[in-house]
Amino acid sequence: MLAQTIEALVKIGLVLGGVMTASAYLVLVERWIAAWVQDRLGPNRVGIPLTNIRLWGLGQPIADGVKLMLKGEAVPKHVDKPLYYLAPAVVFLGAILVFAVIPFGSVLPRGIFPESWQLHEPIELVIAPQLDVGMIYVLAVGGIAVYGVVLGGWGSNNKYSFFGAIRSAAQLISYEIPLGLGILGVVLATGSLRLDAIIAQQADSGWWNIVQQPLGFLVFTVAAFAEATRLPFDLPEAEQELVGGYHTEYSGIKLMLLLVSEFLHMIAAAFLMVVLFLGGWHIWGLTDGIDSPGGELVTWPVAVLRVVIMLAKVLAVILFFMIARWSWPRFRFDQLMQIAWRVMIPWGLANLGVVAIMIEYGDRIGAATGIDWRIWMALIGFATLIIVWAATVIADPSRTDNRPRRDLPVPSFLADEAN
Amino acid sequence: MIDPRHLYILATVLAALGMWRLLPRADAGGRLGGAALVAVALGLFAAGLPGLSNWIADCVFYVLAAVTIVAAICTVTFRNPVYCAIWFGLSLLGTAGLLLLVGAQFLAIATVVVYAGAILVTFLFVLMLAQPEGRASYDRVSFESLLAAVASIAILGLLTVAIAGVFQRSGESTAFPAPPQSAELHQKVLHPLHTAQLGAELFGRWLIAVEVAGVLLLVALVGAAVIVLHARSGRQSSGPQHPQSGGPQQW
Repeated sequence: MLAQTIEALVKIGLVLGGVMTASAYLVLVERWIAAWVQDRLGPNRVGIPLTNIRLWGLGQPIADGVKLMLKGEAVPKHVDKPLYYLAPAVVFLGAILVFAVIPFGSVLPRGIFPESWQLHEPIELVIAPQLDVGMIYVLAVGGIAVYGVVLGGWGSNNKYSFFGAIRSAAQLISYEIPLGLGILGVVLATGSLRLDAIIAQQADSGWWNIVQQPLGFLVFTVAAFAEATRLPFDLPEAEQELVGGYHTEYSGIKLMLLLVSEFLHMIAAAFLMVVLFLGGWHIWGLTDGIDSPGGELVTWPVAVLRVVIMLAKVLAVILFFMIARWSWPRFRFDQLMQIAWRVMIPWGLANLGVVAIMIEYGDRIGAATGIDWRIWMALIGFATLIIVWAATVIADPSRTDNRPRRDLPVPSFLADEAN
Repeated sequence: MIDPRHLYILATVLAALGMWRLLPRADAGGRLGGAALVAVALGLFAAGLPGLSNWIADCVFYVLAAVTIVAAICTVTFRNPVYCAIWFGLSLLGTAGLLLLVGAQFLAIATVVVYAGAILVTFLFVLMLAQPEGRASYDRVSFESLLAAVASIAILGLLTVAIAGVFQRSGESTAFPAPPQSAELHQKVLHPLHTAQLGAELFGRWLIAVEVAGVLLLVALVGAAVIVLHARSGRQSSGPQHPQSGGPQQW
């Protein structure tokens, strides 16, 4: 009992420390990438204090953090105090709780701890391996995070904050549906809601879900961008329109919590993309062949290699997030809603239908043709992607009429130009 | 030693009285006393409940139960609707915690996803849009506060009595089936695939009920769309129109 508690505490410490440090340094990486895209130098000055050693700017995150914590904190008089104070805590809680079910490796080798400690060996590298409904838990915690944003906007008692909160609530609720549809396809293929089972299924078969369900991957990626409110989906805090969105009135450490939470959302989204679609810790030739759940054959090199591969994939996805930020302009709000309801949800449903049919009849198709049914599934998956894409391009459901409206009265200050 | 039956009757009466004082009536006052009465009554209810397997489970249960009930009471007694919604959310989280405590993982998480994650956020959305300024006084008082208090506390008392089982005659078996034995529990509720079992049950034995519920929701959705479209077509007969026919027009 005591040993298990210590095990859980050690894992919590590892994940919390790792994730918080990572989000601090990812801010630096993001600024470097922004500088690279825009042909600037980026932050490269802050190194070791009181010396001239610059260390390529690696001291920047620490300086930023200290500055945000020590800066004077202004609480406006017009805010709704309880909600204003509650909001950053809820946002941060919603962002950090997801990591309870996200694995950051597979398992440790057996037999490193004495029998008398009564640990459930092999030790799984996830905080809460007991939770059998990890995938729904992720959705539930994502739902909690919406509260923080809405409360922050309402509690700030400021119209820009409020607009940001309203937009954010509408966006997050809408994109939860495609997110769920993207997850459902994977859950259907795996037959389990456990994240480690989803990785194990991909490792055992050798077919990653991105190959099996490319359409599902696309839907999930777009929805994950929207849930993390990254560009091009950062409408809740569109600076040009809303000052700072729901965190306009926040400063000091509360602002830091809100900003860190956004990075945590992105890290969690990257982990989920890797777990659900990119094979988790699996890579062909390096970490397969040693079957996972039993963990009998997992040796130290394999265990460490799996963690490294997983984190490398996550970092690659995060870099994709960051480059995407400088590649697309922000959507308009009606475009955002149309993408969710008229494009992403039908795509998700199409993917779900195809996956369900292939799970049910794949064996028979494979037996009839003599080709592995997973090849068929990949082929049909890509064919569906092309067909659905073409149908969307032809039907163009997100087209809007942007021509000027003649039926509205012309404003007086334009009357001269109009005539 | 007091007879537990009298204890429960006393607790129910006290709770009803306290609840009536707590509800947001037109003549505010005595709310602190109401809160004290309700707290005493809840203590009396809790005192009669049987203990759980170990003290950790007991502690977790009582904390979660207190959070759930207090948050639920705050939901109906706060005047600001936004705060009511937040308290309701906390109450739902407490309920989910209680479900998790007995091992019903899927039910717990689904409660959070459906109620806290979707329905309540929509409520909050509407509340915030509907009353930004000047809340009318009739929106902030409880109508029929006495009846509401009596009804809610009667339900609470009856349920507690039924669960604690104090009103049985001697020799009579409990009205509820005995809690499942450990092996059965592990086969059903605590099984790693209990979600799949639940799904098979829902879409096998209870398929028609699920379908009927789905159709009901669809009807409500279509109805909402019809109401919106009807209102718009009625208002828009001479309303704004896009210059669809004439091609791009110049000013």
